[in-house]
Amino acid sequence: MFALREIAVSLTFFVLSYCLFSALAAVSWRSLRWLHAAEQSVADLLFALRVLPLVASILITAAFVIPSFQILEPRSADEGMGTVTFTLGVVALLLIAYGSYRVTAAQVRTSRIVARWLEGASSLETGSPTATLRSRKETPPLTLIGMRAPRVLISESAVAVLGEDELRIALKHELAHIRSCDNLKKLVFRFAPFPGLSKLDSAWSQAAELAADDAAVSSVNDALDLAAALVKLSRLVPVEAAPACTVGFVTGSIRARIARLLAWDEGSQTRQRRIPKWLAIPPVTLLALCAFVTYGPALAVTHELTEWLVR
Amino acid sequence: MTTRFSIFASSPTPQLGPFEQQLLRELWSRGSATVREMVDGTGIRQAYTTVMTTMDRLYKKGLLDRIAEGRAFRYTPRLTSEELQRGVAMDGIRQLLGSNDTSALPLSYLVEALSAHDAQLLDELQILIERKRRELKANGTPEPAQEARSEFRGEFRGKERR
Repeated sequence: MFALREIAVSLTFFVLSYCLFSALAAVSWRSLRWLHAAEQSVADLLFALRVLPLVASILITAAFVIPSFQILEPRSADEGMGTVTFTLGVVALLLIAYGSYRVTAAQVRTSRIVARWLEGASSLETGSPTATLRSRKETPPLTLIGMRAPRVLISESAVAVLGEDELRIALKHELAHIRSCDNLKKLVFRFAPFPGLSKLDSAWSQAAELAADDAAVSSVNDALDLAAALVKLSRLVPVEAAPACTVGFVTGSIRARIARLLAWDEGSQTRQRRIPKWLAIPPVTLLALCAFVTYGPALAVTHELTEWLVR
Repeated sequence: MTTRFSIFASSPTPQLGPFEQQLLRELWSRGSATVREMVDGTGIRQAYTTVMTTMDRLYKKGLLDRIAEGRAFRYTPRLTSEELQRGVAMDGIRQLLGSNDTSALPLSYLVEALSAHDAQLLDELQILIERKRRELKANGTPEPAQEARSEFRGEFRGKERR
């Protein structure tokens, strides 16, 4: 009974903190736009905010709830589980099961569709550091597939319509997605569903596209080549929706991306503020330090809360 | 056109008359108002009772919230203009997709209309890109660096294109 109660209380805390942090993320992500930072930084921050509910609730449960129960709960106590704790525990299990199902379903669907796209595909020598495959003309024009060993899939139609420079810059765009592990990030999003977070997912997707555009472009000619590639490949996009664990080249608001590329100049790039990732270290360290210093009282408070929940 | 109107006529989004729309626009611009403020402070040329009845109708349609203020009510829009438009559009699309007898037909019209719109948009974007290229050429901006191009060496074109 002790172990069962511990699991139920941990799951209850997990689901409560997950919902609280998710609701906060759902209402606060729009304020990131006020930063006027480089798109890569915006995409990173949106991703951090998106995974924060999951990571924070796991950390709180593992670092506070479980130890407080282990240390402070008398093993001889003959307490029941409580209806609220039991119900929320079941909700937490359902949430985890639903997240796992979404991840598995996305992977299965992606594998099935990618396998179809790969039928008759052959290697394409482009000089790009990433494996590039030429697929049949009915497949999507330019897509990044795979997570551990990402590959770029280019359809015959795309090879036929793109100029040399346009293809070079389009591949650089996909390389930027590989460096950012965007396929993996999309899968992580599927594991942590919450009502209202789909808009944050869309905002991240658009920011990731703009960031990849920025990473690919280093001159006005590059910007025009990328814009031209976008227009040409937009005409080839099939009606079928791309599976979750792939990144298509023609994604997001094409009009906004092209408008940005047409307005590209070196000055605008240097004006964009890129937020260095090390800036996250001081607050995280401070938080860890606070947790370390107040660990004993924090465990007591957590235990009080668990007691209140069980009652 | 008749068909289109009959499709949208049974929309779950409340149907709005011209005066109702005018009142809603005023409320969106003001944020909130009493009937008296609408009659005195806006360009509405209708009797007090007409405005009051219409605002009450909008409240009953779920488009306005109201709180008592003295002996009158202060009305506030429940939806923004964008939210209402989105609702109307969503209802229309839902009706199109859900119509039983000829469901494939309106859907195909929709896809056709969207494709035509997309193609036109892409044509316009293509023209903008070409214009920008011409401007750059006229201003003498150099071509992309040869080193960048050499990454690809142009081999794939010769190998893969038939």
